[in-house]
Amino acid sequence: MADEAHASGLFNVLGLEVTSTMTTMVGITVALCAVSYFASRRMKAVPGRFQGAMELAVESLRGYFGSILGDANTRRYLPLLGTMFLFIIVSNYSGLLPMAGHTPGLAPPTASLSVTAGLAAITFFAVHTLGIKHKGTHYFKHFFTPYFFMVIFLLIEEIVRPVSLALRLFGNISGEETVASQIFGMIPLIAPLPFYVLGLLFGLLQAIVFTTLTSIYINGAIGEGH
Amino acid sequence: MEYIAVALAIALSTFGPGIGQGIAASKAMEGIARQPEAAGKIQSALIISLALMEALTIYGLLIAFMLLGQIG
Repeated sequence: MADEAHASGLFNVLGLEVTSTMTTMVGITVALCAVSYFASRRMKAVPGRFQGAMELAVESLRGYFGSILGDANTRRYLPLLGTMFLFIIVSNYSGLLPMAGHTPGLAPPTASLSVTAGLAAITFFAVHTLGIKHKGTHYFKHFFTPYFFMVIFLLIEEIVRPVSLALRLFGNISGEETVASQIFGMIPLIAPLPFYVLGLLFGLLQAIVFTTLTSIYINGAIGEGH
Repeated sequence: MEYIAVALAIALSTFGPGIGQGIAASKAMEGIARQPEAAGKIQSALIISLALMEALTIYGLLIAFMLLGQIG
């Protein structure tokens, strides 16, 4: 199973075990940074192909989140949401590389529960920090509306949200990885192709879903009518 | 015997969300057919609701994995 490959450590740094998941994460981060750096190094008013492609990506992300958060807030929180989206989608697609999950040092990060739980924790803290920043102590009022005893359910909801975010991303990606590798084990030729196509679709869909839910939660925390 | 429990955990948990997702998708398509200009909004709402239903199946998958870990 795919779990075995990235559960075992590759080497130790200062007593910390470094797993394939971590090396892939570092690789993805470096790659994304390098692409962004080279795309924005010599920006021109009339963009070339490379800069144009990157601008298209940023513009479409801004347009998408703008439909949920509104223009002013999107400008403020696009760095968080856009980074999350790009990291998740590249992580999901890294599972489609040849022998990913079976080669030491290459395993899709989002197929590991620790990574998705970390991302969900970022969402959790971002939502509540931004809520408190925007509304001050009034933020806590919405836990007690419309009735005081609603606080129990609303607190449970706040805990369930990041848990389900983490589990959804992890379950989809690792499930898809497992299915693909099982089919590959049975019939290595042609048969896994449909599952790779599904993997392309699910990778995009899960990245969209994760960031959309994050932006909806942020909107709920900082918005007026809640 | 335990393997039957693992299989049932994932099989039963796909059942309800499968029906729910089918209903949601069919209603969304009806909506798009009736009002093609609202397709974008319907699409994003549909994806969110499908994702929330999907979560239930994923819980089942998680339980199946946990059970499998207990056995093996």
